[in-house]
Amino acid sequence: MKKILVYMSFAGLLGLTACDKQLEQLDPQQIDASLAFSTSEKVKQNLIGAYASFGTGSLFGGDVLWMSELMASNGEVTWTGTFPDPRQIWGKSILVNNSYVRSTYQNAYMTIAALNNILFYLDVVDETDRGVVEGETKFLRAMLYFELVKFFGEKSYSAGNPAALMGVPLVVDPRPASPTSEENHVPRSTVEQVYTQILADLTDAENLLPADNDFYANKPSAALALARVHLQMLDYTAARDAANRCITAATGAGFSLVGEFEDEFNTSSNTSEDLFAMQVNTQTGSNSNQTYYSTPTYGARDGDIQINEAHLDLYSPVDVRGDFFFTEGGSVFTNKWRDQYMNVKVMRLAEAYLTRAECNARLGTSVGATVALDLARTRTRAGLPVLAAPGLGEVLTERRLELAFEGQAFADAKRLRLIVDGLEYDSPKMVFPIPQRETNIYDIAQNPGYF
Amino acid sequence: MRKLPFLGLVLLLSACQLLFAQTKTISGKVTDSKDGSPLQGVSVQVKGTTSGTVTATDGSFSLVAPANATTLVISSLGFDSKEIAITGSALSVSLVNSESRSLDEIVVVGYGTNSKRNLAGNIAQVKGSDIRNLPVPDLTAALQGRASGVFVEAGNGKVGEGIKMRIRGSASIGGSNEPLYVVDGVPIVGGLSGSATADINFNDVESFDILKDASAAAIYGSRASNGVVLITTRRGKAGKTQFNVSSQYGTNKPTNDNRGFLNAQEYVEYFTMAAENAAKYHYNRADNWRGYASEQAAINDMLTYVRGRFNRYSGGTDWANGAVNTNWEKLAFQDANTGQIEVSATGGNEKTKFFLSGNTSKQDGILIGNKFKRSGARLNLDNEATSWLKLGFNLSITKVDRDRVPADNQFTTPMQIVALSPITPVRDPEGNLYNTPTTTYYNPLLDYEGATWKLQSWRNQGKVFADVSLMKGLSFHSEFGLDVINQDEERYWGPNTLTGNVSPTVKGVASNSFYRNTRTLVSNYLSYGKQVGDMHKIDATLGMSYENIRSRYASVNGQGFPDNTLRTLASASEITGGSASVDEDALVSYFGRATYVFDKKIIVNASARVDGSARFGDDHKYGFFPAGSVGWILSDYDFIRNSTFISFLKPRISYGVTGNNSIGLYAANRTYAPTSYALVPALALSRPGNEDLRWETTDQMDIGIEFGFFKGRLTGEIDYYSKKTKDLLYSQPTSSISGVTSVTSNIGTMENKGIEFVLNSTNISTKDFTWSSSFNIARNKNKVTKLDGEQTVIRGDARFANSIVVGQPIGIFYGVKYAGVDVQNGDPLYFLADGKTTTNDYSLAGTDFILGDPNPDWIGGLTNTVAYKGLELSFMFQGVFGNQVQDGAGGFMSASADWFDNQTRDQLNSWKQPGDITDVPEARLNRFGDFASPSISSRYISDAGYVRLKTVSLGYTLPKTLLSRIKVSSARFFVTGVNLLTFTDYKGWDPEVNTDYRSGNVNQGSDFYAAPQIKSIVFGLTLGL
Repeated sequence: MKKILVYMSFAGLLGLTACDKQLEQLDPQQIDASLAFSTSEKVKQNLIGAYASFGTGSLFGGDVLWMSELMASNGEVTWTGTFPDPRQIWGKSILVNNSYVRSTYQNAYMTIAALNNILFYLDVVDETDRGVVEGETKFLRAMLYFELVKFFGEKSYSAGNPAALMGVPLVVDPRPASPTSEENHVPRSTVEQVYTQILADLTDAENLLPADNDFYANKPSAALALARVHLQMLDYTAARDAANRCITAATGAGFSLVGEFEDEFNTSSNTSEDLFAMQVNTQTGSNSNQTYYSTPTYGARDGDIQINEAHLDLYSPVDVRGDFFFTEGGSVFTNKWRDQYMNVKVMRLAEAYLTRAECNARLGTSVGATVALDLARTRTRAGLPVLAAPGLGEVLTERRLELAFEGQAFADAKRLRLIVDGLEYDSPKMVFPIPQRETNIYDIAQNPGYF
Repeated sequence: MRKLPFLGLVLLLSACQLLFAQTKTISGKVTDSKDGSPLQGVSVQVKGTTSGTVTATDGSFSLVAPANATTLVISSLGFDSKEIAITGSALSVSLVNSESRSLDEIVVVGYGTNSKRNLAGNIAQVKGSDIRNLPVPDLTAALQGRASGVFVEAGNGKVGEGIKMRIRGSASIGGSNEPLYVVDGVPIVGGLSGSATADINFNDVESFDILKDASAAAIYGSRASNGVVLITTRRGKAGKTQFNVSSQYGTNKPTNDNRGFLNAQEYVEYFTMAAENAAKYHYNRADNWRGYASEQAAINDMLTYVRGRFNRYSGGTDWANGAVNTNWEKLAFQDANTGQIEVSATGGNEKTKFFLSGNTSKQDGILIGNKFKRSGARLNLDNEATSWLKLGFNLSITKVDRDRVPADNQFTTPMQIVALSPITPVRDPEGNLYNTPTTTYYNPLLDYEGATWKLQSWRNQGKVFADVSLMKGLSFHSEFGLDVINQDEERYWGPNTLTGNVSPTVKGVASNSFYRNTRTLVSNYLSYGKQVGDMHKIDATLGMSYENIRSRYASVNGQGFPDNTLRTLASASEITGGSASVDEDALVSYFGRATYVFDKKIIVNASARVDGSARFGDDHKYGFFPAGSVGWILSDYDFIRNSTFISFLKPRISYGVTGNNSIGLYAANRTYAPTSYALVPALALSRPGNEDLRWETTDQMDIGIEFGFFKGRLTGEIDYYSKKTKDLLYSQPTSSISGVTSVTSNIGTMENKGIEFVLNSTNISTKDFTWSSSFNIARNKNKVTKLDGEQTVIRGDARFANSIVVGQPIGIFYGVKYAGVDVQNGDPLYFLADGKTTTNDYSLAGTDFILGDPNPDWIGGLTNTVAYKGLELSFMFQGVFGNQVQDGAGGFMSASADWFDNQTRDQLNSWKQPGDITDVPEARLNRFGDFASPSISSRYISDAGYVRLKTVSLGYTLPKTLLSRIKVSSARFFVTGVNLLTFTDYKGWDPEVNTDYRSGNVNQGSDFYAAPQIKSIVFGLTLGL
């Protein structure tokens, strides 16, 4: 017996040398990068993945919307929550380590990197789908660059010479496999360069996308995005025409304003008015507007963003939108973002009508429809009388009320050159700082007024 | 089940006995040389045969020996073995207790044992008996202060949760800095949550051997850079079965339950003042952008606002007249009990020995709703099957139940209750707890009453092993070990809780997670030992091991519960999520060690291990970890041996290389993970991967000297070490433009240098009275010496200043330096970059100041044991010196009324008029964001060194004369206290703190509503039967 055990012992010792292949452990939950773009299906799955990160809380899952409203608060909303970082944004006393500013910047560029990869592997996509994939990808990329250049650009497009103002780093190619590569230490392009890229991407997107594309990016939303960009550039003709194309494509594909104002909000699927919305359900997607605008009664945080009299006073007594608020503990909150797990509306058809109306009013034209007719669409729904000959001021007021708390306040304040909370529209405090984490990593120029 | 036949074989073999024809009977008695008391369970064997017996309770033995037998071998654990000639038939033997001479202690080294004398490396041993029955849940906590250079810190007073051990400082930034814990040869696995070492019943432990230097630890190769803690459990002793019963009961309290917050009257006055000040500031200094007509108008508006808040927070009570004065701080704590019952039995014959134990203990936490309960059993079995085959078996099973409380940064965690206003009543007139908007924030009591969080762990640790004696001096050891942890975590949030209130129609949320982690280990090694003449002694070990670690996780979440009593997911109206995953890791190792002792004086030791790990890049799977050491016992030379002063002297030196592989699995591979958008399947980049990812290696040198004076009454050790770590594993921040924000890289180098002193002394030793002391103190100096070569600073997050700065210790507080308060206007001041001039604009302040160091300069412990007859008093002081702690909650609770959080009382000392000299800026409510709220600065960093009366124990052992009448072999009454006294300058609850939600290698010394430590007093009784 002893001999047998001795032999077995040595066999056991030697037997262990066969364990080497155990050292090849792959994550059972993930696939190797070499396979990630290997088929048409996989490239498209990457695009869906890009929608998910595009819709994260730091981006169009809400932050870029409510941060826009806080930046342009002008006494109409108050950040009352305990978190100091959003309070910095509301008070325009932002520190370079602000975590919300950082997250938005980070997630925007991470999503852009994913989008650039998809464009690089476009050839892998089946020919029938290739155009749509390209269009959606470019739409998402343009939307992100537009948010970046508005928040982080040295000044807004119309506040100086855009060819001299610092924009944001502009990257349209895949990044090297090593994330630490110096190739990623990209300096800031000018505002003009960034806008040029945005316009090119959106123009391609508008051409490539179908008018109806489920809840993914479509032709009308690309056109409306172009209208937004042209408004920032104060190019009202181009903005008007883009808005008009948006409306034509949208109505042709069955989009329409919903009948009752309140039915447009707190929906878990897109309404007929939603040109583009981030999809949220209990399992995926996020809606940080709800988190901060709503109250614990509705599963939100603490009712952090309260609506003030200064805003409520703007509504006519008969305006149903003036009643679209709820009161808790003496504080007023908007109903637009009341319920949990609801879609984040990024673009509504109503905005296209209002943009067309504004541009027509500015240019004295009636492209698509008269100013009065376009304005009447939302006003009538809100219970307001039709105006026979509305002026620009009335159009802008209508825009402000219809789109309140939906993320357009900051962009509008910039292009309309409003004074916000005592600050000039081009005050250095009216832009975000380049996050400290980036300036720590490489020598990227900081915005004036930030250190 | 497959092991049953094997066990049967063991039992069968043990039944075989050899019989001798011609015999004689020998009897005698064995006593302790110290006091002449009889020794039970001593092995008495006829030399050269297997025949023998063990002594009875009275020390007597009687055995039948072959007629030609000449010598008996008398041996017992803890005593020097003795050979005596058989002269006559009644022998008297007295044995010398070897434990009193620590230099001859047996220490456990990896894959074997050695005598402390023949060791050239540094191993600190803590005896299991030193910490037995301590009323703490975690063995790591029990070791605090007991071994030199071993820093133990519980992050907060939550029971059975995060606790860290650092042996000779931190050797890693991105990997783990915890030592490798090995229980009876099997490295332990971690659970999903809760401290993994809290699952181990340390009353079963014989010894903790802490491998500190490279020479000692390198045999564990790629996991040894942080040191290794070898835990050896108790084994059976032959003899009549001895029972030990122990029971204790006591109370737990916070070390400090009164940090001190404003009372209702002070709150109203202080915030009224802050409102007025803020209005003046807005009108005069913030451009009055709200457009008030006059300063008074601004004040009136602000007062209206703040009174509106008071109305809200007071729930309609008469706050102006102090109708309600709630001390919320007290409500975070509960009256807590602790108790333990333990039964163990040991016995057997010379062939088969066993140790059996059962234990149940409970520790109620000091925080409301926090509980910990552990029950377990162990069987350790040894069998000498034949003269050349020994078999053994260990099995322990433990069940741990925890009632957990949320992390420190959650509104639901008990300690955040201190933020609530003292003017707020706890309950409304109907008896319901108030919540927001009446309470300033969510009321944590709602979670206490309406939510449950239960974590149950089942843990099996065990192994089977065989020792085969192949030929004289050469044996083969084979073992199969297993560590399995099964965890089941159930959470439920009722309709009134923050999480459970989903919407007006959907109430109640629950989640359930299952986690299983297993380590299987096969280890085989040969041991060779040979004495050549008197001059040469050789010991060698050579072997291999294979480990596989596999974990599984599954979770389900749901919401919408029809009734608050229905709390399992079966009752959820909607399943909102679920996940399952599996992970696997493997380690293949080859190791060897040789020790050569020349002339019993010169010790030369060399060891090496090759580890192959699945975690690293293809070209870096294998690592080689060699070490060597030399020791020289000078005291065995005549020139010292003849000295009456020096009794032992051994200088030693060691050098070796160890590794650290403790990073996330699969980090070397660039992979894409499934994700989804609107429930459509999707892919996204998950890990950037790094083909060059490799081991983190530490070169460590140790020079030490062991000494003994006055015939061993004063012994000690002094060590100097230098640890240099290169290829530091770190989650290196990258520009977001790269598509990821960090990548696991080998960047940088770090060093730890330090000295350690150990001193043990027998101060007084008489028959009735003894007094002994044990003292250890150590200094460690950590320094990050290089990052990637370009960056020299990696800053902390938005709330804490813990940074990595080249040339400074890991986690140093780095950033903006507070310069006190402007005497003229009450503004907080900060230093500009020049370090001299100051500014009131935080955004202009210099950001490159060293503000403090969370790493202690010195750590130490002092134990004194005084015994008089049956009475024994033992007390241990433990100290940590020269470190700082940052209170991350300072910006909320000590913020000059920046917001409506209740403030610490020191804020009453705020600046009030020109000329006031104070550290607290003017109280100003930051309603309009006119000025920066208090952010990271040295304002919230303070000294946190402390000295603590860690344990004190008073015991009385009843005299044997009394006991023999009641048939009890021993009885001891005791009272033990833990953390009874703390001496510190720290202003927070407790200086031993590192908030759980962010604790890590860099994130040290941070306080954020962290619970104070637990102070316990227990009364107990131990009986030997």
